Amino acid sequence: MRMPPFTLHTPGSLDEALSLAGDLQSSGQEFDWVAGGTDLLPNYKWHLNAKSHVISLAGVSELTELSRTHIGAMVRLQDLADSNDVHPLLAKVSSMVASVMIRRSGTVGGNICLDTRCFWFNQSEEWRESIEWCYKCDCGTGADCRVIPNQNTQCVATYQADLAPVLMCLGATIHLAGPEGGRSMPLTEFFELDGITRNVLAAGELVTHLTFPSDILDWQGDYQKLRQRESWDFPEAGVAVLWKPGPNGSPSDLRVATTGLESIPGFHSPEADGVLASWEGESSIDELAEAVRKAVRPVLNTWYPPSYRRKMVKVLTKRASSGLLEV
Amino acid sequence: MSEDKDRVEGYRQQSGKLPFPRPGSGGSRGTSDLRDEEAIAGIKGTNEHKHDDLVTGSAVGRPTALVDGRWKVTGQAHYGDDVRLPGELIGRIVRSKHHYARVLSIDVSAALELPGVVAVATGRDASGSFGVLPVTKDEHAMAQEKVRHVGDLVACVAAVDESTAREAVRLIEVEYEELEALHDMREGLEDSDEPIHDRGQYHIGSSNVQKRVFQEFGDIDGMADNAVASHSSSWKFAGANHGFTEPHAVVANWDPSGRLTLYTPQQVPHYVHRALADVLDVPMHQINVHRTFVGGGFGGKSDPFPHEMCAAILSRKTGRPVRINFDREEVFWVNRGRHPSRIDMNLHADSDGRLCGIETDALIDGGAFASFGHVTTYYNGVLHTAPYEIGAFHYTGARVWTNKPASGAMRGHGAVNSRCAFEVGMDGVAEQLRVDPITLRLANLLPPNSATITGFRVTSIGMRECLERVREASGWKEKFRKLPHGHGIGVGCGFFISGSGLPIHWEPNKFPHATVHLKVDMDGGVTVHTGAAEIGQGSDTVIAQSVAEVLGLPLDMIRIRSRETDTAPVDLGSYSSRVTFMNANAAISAAMEIRQELLEAAAGMTEAPIDRMVIGDRRIYMRDDPKIGVSYLEALHKAQENKGALVSSGAYRTPPMGRVHKGAGAGIAPAYSFSAYVAEVKVDVETGQTKVLKVWAAHDCGKALNPLSVKGQIIGSCHMGLGQVLSEEMKYGRSGHLINPDLLDYKIPTVHEMPEVVPIIVESNDSEGPFGAKEAGEGPLLPILPAVCNAVYDAIGVRTSELPITPDRVHRMIEDRCKQEGMGPLDLVSPVLQHSELQATLEARASEHAERDSRRASDPDPPDYNNGALFGFDPEIPADEQDERWVVSVTPDSGYMESPRLAGSAWKHTERRHGGGS
Repeated sequence: MRMPPFTLHTPGSLDEALSLAGDLQSSGQEFDWVAGGTDLLPNYKWHLNAKSHVISLAGVSELTELSRTHIGAMVRLQDLADSNDVHPLLAKVSSMVASVMIRRSGTVGGNICLDTRCFWFNQSEEWRESIEWCYKCDCGTGADCRVIPNQNTQCVATYQADLAPVLMCLGATIHLAGPEGGRSMPLTEFFELDGITRNVLAAGELVTHLTFPSDILDWQGDYQKLRQRESWDFPEAGVAVLWKPGPNGSPSDLRVATTGLESIPGFHSPEADGVLASWEGESSIDELAEAVRKAVRPVLNTWYPPSYRRKMVKVLTKRASSGLLEV
Repeated sequence: MSEDKDRVEGYRQQSGKLPFPRPGSGGSRGTSDLRDEEAIAGIKGTNEHKHDDLVTGSAVGRPTALVDGRWKVTGQAHYGDDVRLPGELIGRIVRSKHHYARVLSIDVSAALELPGVVAVATGRDASGSFGVLPVTKDEHAMAQEKVRHVGDLVACVAAVDESTAREAVRLIEVEYEELEALHDMREGLEDSDEPIHDRGQYHIGSSNVQKRVFQEFGDIDGMADNAVASHSSSWKFAGANHGFTEPHAVVANWDPSGRLTLYTPQQVPHYVHRALADVLDVPMHQINVHRTFVGGGFGGKSDPFPHEMCAAILSRKTGRPVRINFDREEVFWVNRGRHPSRIDMNLHADSDGRLCGIETDALIDGGAFASFGHVTTYYNGVLHTAPYEIGAFHYTGARVWTNKPASGAMRGHGAVNSRCAFEVGMDGVAEQLRVDPITLRLANLLPPNSATITGFRVTSIGMRECLERVREASGWKEKFRKLPHGHGIGVGCGFFISGSGLPIHWEPNKFPHATVHLKVDMDGGVTVHTGAAEIGQGSDTVIAQSVAEVLGLPLDMIRIRSRETDTAPVDLGSYSSRVTFMNANAAISAAMEIRQELLEAAAGMTEAPIDRMVIGDRRIYMRDDPKIGVSYLEALHKAQENKGALVSSGAYRTPPMGRVHKGAGAGIAPAYSFSAYVAEVKVDVETGQTKVLKVWAAHDCGKALNPLSVKGQIIGSCHMGLGQVLSEEMKYGRSGHLINPDLLDYKIPTVHEMPEVVPIIVESNDSEGPFGAKEAGEGPLLPILPAVCNAVYDAIGVRTSELPITPDRVHRMIEDRCKQEGMGPLDLVSPVLQHSELQATLEARASEHAERDSRRASDPDPPDYNNGALFGFDPEIPADEQDERWVVSVTPDSGYMESPRLAGSAWKHTERRHGGGS
């Protein structure tokens, strides 16, 4: 496998990176950001939507700050996993991403912005030519989606990153910067349902960091991940359930989020709010698990069949909630 | 003159053009005419251990680090893609994007115009066919008329660098006419307008059946009537790939003296040598095959490959070395992995707990080419006729072509899937009989030096000890059917050939199976020339050990030269677990000649009688007066007087074996290995995820020449087998495309999935093996699959019949059981065992048989024992000669054809030459 040739830019600061991006944009040149490279470079080797310019963030030191309420986009996943400062569940879920070698390279920002995956898409150029391409990388052919043919309005490739559900449940705010300036939003509003668009990042924009409310340590909970092998497999389904312990053993607040099931992570506030109002312990957990199962719509484009992944969402939700019974 | 039209009367002197049997669907005879009975030797081995006198205690039996290990860990080992020759070009292959299509035209003009492109080749550059089996040469370097799977070779280019070569590949325009592709192996049994290959007059109807086998032995009619317990299951096995570390890589160099050297990580250099001569149309002596270090083979590097031909063709065209290195995806296009299979397995046991019948029907998906498939089709049946004594064996097997990458030989070739189905069936029968499955096995074993129902000559058997030791080590009696729900233990056994008795390229009475040359010069070091392919399995080490042992030398005085066909005597290669048995035997023979010369020299120098001289550590001395003697070098220099370096040649040939029916040669071997594993698992009943906790793995390798290697093979086999049982699967999507040709989604277990394996070496000391050794490379893979499946049943009470047992599949079975029993997964209870009266009977029989076996294993000339004695027949005569109900048949009768089973239905077609097809 060979990457197509591209020009690599290595800015030393955020300002420099943004001005580079602005220059490229104004001269009509497409580019990609690269952080750890563990997602982008394999895709480049497969000739998946490769660009002729790549801006590396490796030398941008402003993006590596790490504290309880602030995580820079260039923080390595392994550093997050090893950190004693961050919420313990965040360290745990980070340690469940891929393998240690990939975590030492891969970054928090890269994980959040992970490209969506699909077995009709994550293939070599020759392979994709043999299926006459697909919607996500049609190579100018206007090819149809291979997962759900004859719809072609939306890409259904699957978002398979682990951090997002936990970050969303912890109330993370995501901060972006671009040639036009910066903006911030709750992480729950960052993602946009489509396997190609994926999120609100505009051309030239990048994720700089995440911040968390000061009550972050009041939240408890768990993340459960479904996969074939307990090493570098992507999540076939992932469920985070977090709560604030309330009086009488019931939670005072409850958040549920999922990943690995659709083109963006799911934040299930109606389902969580629905059971929180009339909390009855175990039966509420069952109710929640069933509601989350109903809320997700996986398709056949990852290792496990969608029917199984959907059923497992229920099991994972229950397991992630099991701490609620110990309150 | 002989009337046998196939008999070779003399042979042409052009090497590489030796005559072979005609192609056909299993030989040119359609019937089972008996051959000359007089030519067949006795059925049994003896207990005469011919190497006992050669033991010097210097090398054999010690845990020994592999002699090439340091080369690998220091990075000095050159694998296929490490070879760099001056002026090399990079070759890339143009591959088919269609499953099945006719190639109408190939336009290479744009590619040739690209700066840096030196040559392009297409099928027109080499029209000769080849294939690993002479009876099924159905491959070409590149497409001649049709492409037969996505990734099939169409053309190739040579350019100054990889980027240019890749760009050139994009520029080659191929015009295709798409043909209707065949993906479901069951459809391959039917007539087709456009069969994937055309075998001419030997074509079976107009179908895609490449090979079919029918075998009936024993009391076929009686097996169902005699049965009190029967277990039937219909299995589906996904295809598996070897997943070796090193993708295929090859360098071809047509050198200035006009000879071709092919550098390739091959398991079988000799067959490539032959195939190259055929395809390039040059004599064999003009070719040198240089085996590089091999980064794992497991059967996946044992065919001659089209890309090897392409490199040679491009090198010939350009006059420069050409290197081709594969992406992982291309490894999956070449494949030759385990056949996707549909196997129906019925096991019958009678009221005495004897196996009164096995019915196996195996349909295997060969993909686009024959590869080793002819043999695989037999092995799926005949390799489960032991280690148990059986009353009847009914086998129907068929291999069909489909438009997938070709299946072939993979560690445990042909035996793995049907063995899994069989051993799971044993567990099912034991449950119905309400007996312990280990006891059931122990009460039905063939004894040492016996013959199976199809006439395999089995010499040493360590099966009983394997079973007893894993039962003991695993705490079986405390655990089986007694562990809590979700936690289980299971047993499985294995039986495998130790070297194919009838190798692929072998002309009886002309060549031995293995030859080893030795050269010892005045420095005292021994140079060993052998063609045995070191593929990481440790063959260089075991051959060095054998020579060192006989000559009483330390291992570092032995140097192995096993790389080049120019210097190595012909060897049939590293397949069928033959290398230790055959090459070490040849090496011992060669070393015995040198030993004799040394002894003679020492006797001459000391004036001591030669029959009282012995060889110790670099010294040759009188046995009863060790101070009389000379050093090894003194003796060597004496022996070298007037003639220089000592040279010798040793060879190995199998004894005549087996019966005379058609197909009798498939599965015969000079010895067989045995193994028994117990696996302990935990199954998450809510998710269906299976975790293997621990494996106790006993393997009878005859004698562990290198115990470290044997343990490594056992542990490695467990890992490989676990992959197939837990997660490895070549998945074909809705459109027939292989959707996971990469190592992220072709899920080989990682260190996290690997359980603790307790290797247990059992040594039955085979009388014909080198120092008693048998194979340990493939047999140890077999038992892990059924052991895990049976443990899953013990854990959660669901019986799988589909591999791999991915969580989604197990979960579906759990759901089904929950529905049946009307309860949730956490409320299910695992199976229990209350012994029936038969248990005591079987225990008594097992202990009687244990005595019988130990008697026969030590008897210097044990009486004949044929399968059938357990059913009351005279052991010294084959049962079919004693009772007419015991049949031997290799063609189906009309009665069977009224309702054939799936693979059996392949026999509804008539071969074209007999009036079938068009």
